[in-house]
Amino acid sequence: MSAERAARLVALWARLYTLGLPAADARRLRDELAADLHDQIAAERAAGMAEPRIARGLASRALRGLPADLAWRGRRVAARTAYRLGLASALFSMLFTLWLMGAVGIVGVEGDPADQMYLGVLALGLLGAVAARFRPAGMARVLFAMAGAQALIAAIALAAGRASSPISSVPEIVGLNAIFAALFAASAALFRHAARAPADAR
Amino acid sequence: MPRRKPGTLLPLEAEIVTAALSLLRAGEPAFHGFGLAQTLREQAGSRALTAHGTLYKALGRLEELGLLRSRWEEAAAAEGRPRRRLYELTEDGVAAAQRVAAGVAAPVSGGAGAVAGAPAAPVRARSRTTPEPAA
Repeated sequence: MSAERAARLVALWARLYTLGLPAADARRLRDELAADLHDQIAAERAAGMAEPRIARGLASRALRGLPADLAWRGRRVAARTAYRLGLASALFSMLFTLWLMGAVGIVGVEGDPADQMYLGVLALGLLGAVAARFRPAGMARVLFAMAGAQALIAAIALAAGRASSPISSVPEIVGLNAIFAALFAASAALFRHAARAPADAR
Repeated sequence: MPRRKPGTLLPLEAEIVTAALSLLRAGEPAFHGFGLAQTLREQAGSRALTAHGTLYKALGRLEELGLLRSRWEEAAAAEGRPRRRLYELTEDGVAAAQRVAAGVAAPVSGGAGAVAGAPAAPVRARSRTTPEPAA
């Protein structure tokens, strides 16, 4: 096998294991590998090494790196999956909040002014996401803040005596807000997981 | 990949920063992947070059840790061959490499404490990738 053919096989492997990953990351890795393969072939030819030995050397380097390649891809895919799940969970929770506010009301009946506080949670999410540029670490902080805001609203509603109305009870206020706070916190945890991956997975 | 103890570098990462420091002292602050693989082979007295997958993932991690920065070689300098990604030690990288070279395991200011007997380096993630010009 010629050195060029071995290099093409190594490049093909890089194409395969970067398939479906962010284009910029995949391209950087493939371009860097192309330069490395070219440099190795040039250096070993200049040193008078025989073609089959150069080809074996290239194949050996690729094969020994397979576990690292696969582990890197696994972490990348896991990070992307975590980010998407976090985003889906956050959007679902926000839309469900809006629906609940309009349909039945969260603290009181529909249209209760106290429910307007939840608009603040949604605004915090939207503005925070834009400020964080939708990056996972920033999104995690925003979603944790939303979970905290949700809990704060429950505390305010209880302190304001909303639980004594015929419509809302303490378990209802605490339960509903706890569910939303848990959903936001779960989204935050998924974003944080996605944010931690790159340090191990360039 | 071996599990990383907080505040430490993995063995290959320690070898890379040490090699980068020796290149810096030899007047070659910027290095590329294959050149580094050759240097590592010489330093280890080995016959085999470090595997692609292992080497480039380690370089990426060191960049994320803020110990290396990288940029693409200028197209004119490549003279028709594929452009190389050039790496350089950052100030933190030089400090970490000096500690590794000296075999000192001292706590790192502003970073996680080092584990005794292991090479110390700050492990706060901070990318220093130079913005990439259009190819």
